[in-house]
Amino acid sequence: MVLALAGSLVHAGVGLQPTLNPAGWPQLRRFLAAAVEPAASPEFLRLTWEATLTTLAYAVLGTAMALGIGVVAGVVISETWWRRPPSGRSRRRGRVGEVGGWLASRLVVGLPRGVHEAVWGLFLVSILGLDPLVGVLAIGIPYGAVTAKVYAELLDEAPRGPFEALRSAGVGRVRALTYALAPLAFPDLLSYAFYRFECAIRGAAILGIIGAGGLGFQLALSFQSLRYDEMWTLIYALVAVCGLADWWSTTLRRRSALPTRTIAGLPAEREGHDSVVAIRPSLRRDRRLHASAVVAVALVVVSVWHLGIDVSTLWAPRAQRLASEIATSSLPPDLGAANLARLAALGVQTLEMSVIAAVAACVAGMVAAFAVAGGSDGSRPAGALRQVGAIGARGLLLVARAVPPPVGALLLLFVLLPGPLPGALALALYNAGILGRLMAEVVENLDPGPLGALRSQGASPGQGFVYATLPRTLPRFAAFGLYRWEVTIRETVVVGLVGAGGLGRLLGQQLAAFDYRGVTATVAALVVLTFAVDVVSAAVRRSLR
Amino acid sequence: MFSLRRAGVRFGSTPALEAVDLEVAAGERVALVGPSGAGKSTLLSLLNGSRRPTEGSAVVLGRDLATVRGSELRHLQRRIGTVYQQHHLVGPLRVVHNVNAGRLGDWSLLEAVRSLLLPADVATAEAALAQVGIAEKLYERTDTLSGGQQQRVALARVLVQRPVAILADEPISSLDPTRAEEIMQLLAGLAGGTGRALVVSLHAVEQALRHCDRLVGLRGGRVLFDAAARDVTTAMVESLYRIGERGPEQGEGAA
Repeated sequence: MVLALAGSLVHAGVGLQPTLNPAGWPQLRRFLAAAVEPAASPEFLRLTWEATLTTLAYAVLGTAMALGIGVVAGVVISETWWRRPPSGRSRRRGRVGEVGGWLASRLVVGLPRGVHEAVWGLFLVSILGLDPLVGVLAIGIPYGAVTAKVYAELLDEAPRGPFEALRSAGVGRVRALTYALAPLAFPDLLSYAFYRFECAIRGAAILGIIGAGGLGFQLALSFQSLRYDEMWTLIYALVAVCGLADWWSTTLRRRSALPTRTIAGLPAEREGHDSVVAIRPSLRRDRRLHASAVVAVALVVVSVWHLGIDVSTLWAPRAQRLASEIATSSLPPDLGAANLARLAALGVQTLEMSVIAAVAACVAGMVAAFAVAGGSDGSRPAGALRQVGAIGARGLLLVARAVPPPVGALLLLFVLLPGPLPGALALALYNAGILGRLMAEVVENLDPGPLGALRSQGASPGQGFVYATLPRTLPRFAAFGLYRWEVTIRETVVVGLVGAGGLGRLLGQQLAAFDYRGVTATVAALVVLTFAVDVVSAAVRRSLR
Repeated sequence: MFSLRRAGVRFGSTPALEAVDLEVAAGERVALVGPSGAGKSTLLSLLNGSRRPTEGSAVVLGRDLATVRGSELRHLQRRIGTVYQQHHLVGPLRVVHNVNAGRLGDWSLLEAVRSLLLPADVATAEAALAQVGIAEKLYERTDTLSGGQQQRVALARVLVQRPVAILADEPISSLDPTRAEEIMQLLAGLAGGTGRALVVSLHAVEQALRHCDRLVGLRGGRVLFDAAARDVTTAMVESLYRIGERGPEQGEGAA
């Protein structure tokens, strides 16, 4: 890992050529100074409010669509679904149909997942035009695929005894699933749905930059006219929406016994035998859950109305004509030797950007997570200084993940010379904001026992940290870091589109030049690269278990 | 070694311990018996200095807990070893590090970190593990061990700490009768003749009678009786567990 990072940094030009641009410091300072006096004119506030609603609406509808896909596809691609009812002793082996069906269905959801929502957005815009449906589909399709994969894993992880008991009693698959499996997996499914919603808000902001409207779009406009005060108003709006979504998601996810585990695909810490079902707080009588369901439905209705969604666009003759035109002009992909060599070189650069971003985000996130969790250190009340530090760190993390990475990359271009590095660092900041929050949850959910035991036998705070806190958090942090690496390799596209380098930059150029055969090849290269990263990361994560 | 006078602990407005008087001398083996929520764990946390009394006084190894703070308190705590029902070991660490964690009081932070990379004083850790009967587990990951084995690791940790008193909070509650008996024998053997005191909280009164010199009966945060093991009668034990009279404080945290 250290070697990969060092190699990536050197290759990206750190230490070999000038990377800093001292002339840009005054600009950055002016931008930062504007933080204390954001634009507050009534017209601009109204504009911000409208933009906030738009971004929120995309996120809500995108998530709703993703959940619909996730529930249906998640069941279909789960191992449980393809497994026959237990009859006799031989269960796993020699069942080509079972394994084949399961594998094929996995591949179908693997493809949409390999492409970032921004690429989906660009692709859909060229078919549907600037229709609000583009934003919804661009979030819904890739998120639906991810959700399906996670839901399948959660269903497979849920205790299977009750399900198989019903199956061997002759109950059909769907009914057995709804009665014996879904209720057990429900809290985890719900918690993941809310995590997706958080991500969807940030995704909607990024989509805005490439033209879908909303906060991201306004942010890009204000940036182009260098209205830093307006930018800050919009950033604060994003922070508020993200913060609210985080809070909503965390309060609901807390009641699931294993809040953050599902995100990084960590194994269930199941106690005892499969048939022992952990008793969770009754969800049925939970008022907050009820209120959330009502709010969620209301949000969906308002979002449809606000965006003016018209599903018939999908079947309109214009869309069909454009789709067939693009299909003919983008196939076969441009696989000439020159293009392949270029793709390979840029693929390496993309990989380097993702490594730098993931490692830097992991380290920064870890430091921030301990600072945030420092406010609640076991039984002893934290000092005022640490509490202030914890609140400060929380705020920084929130802002870091609210600023869309393309905007971050452009801001970094004030002080860094163009190239892959600003893009990688922007991704690092953004992901540090996300990782820091997830890691802080890990620290806060640690069993205080082992640390308390060490402290009560006279170990110093530093010794307690090294012996009790670090060993229990580092493996999880590493798993989160790897999971985020899989995400950053996809996200290199969005900073690439604003010129930061890698395959994303090439994609932007090809789209601008209507070189659709080139686009197909680049997207294919991205899919291959993300797939490779997924495989490596999954293997390393398994070894961490 | 320990001296509580009218000691009480309140969590908010709920009293967990009320007006407890207790004296424990060197080499004594004292059992705390009583139902869940009687205040046994709270009492032990007073004795190891991780909690201060909100009323009355607690004197530990000659120092009044109300007056010691910071590094002084840590020095005091280094001389008291505690074993817990849930072991409270660090699962992902190897056994040798969990045992060596008993030495943290003697080590600087730097030595502690260095030992995580290259285990220091392995011979001592190995001897301690041999004494509790699992020397071969030295380099295993702690969370792969069974409950009984983990409790032995916790005992080995206390051994390398070389405390003047050992506290044990329900050390055998999650073990089967054979393992429980073995652990109790180990604990009783570590105290007594060596001049080391043992204070152990137990659910099982028979175990307390067999391995301890003195029994302290707790119920609802108060001491019901404090008597030599041979003087404890069935009636006294029954008074602890009788349903309906006083003592609704069921379900205290780690009782």
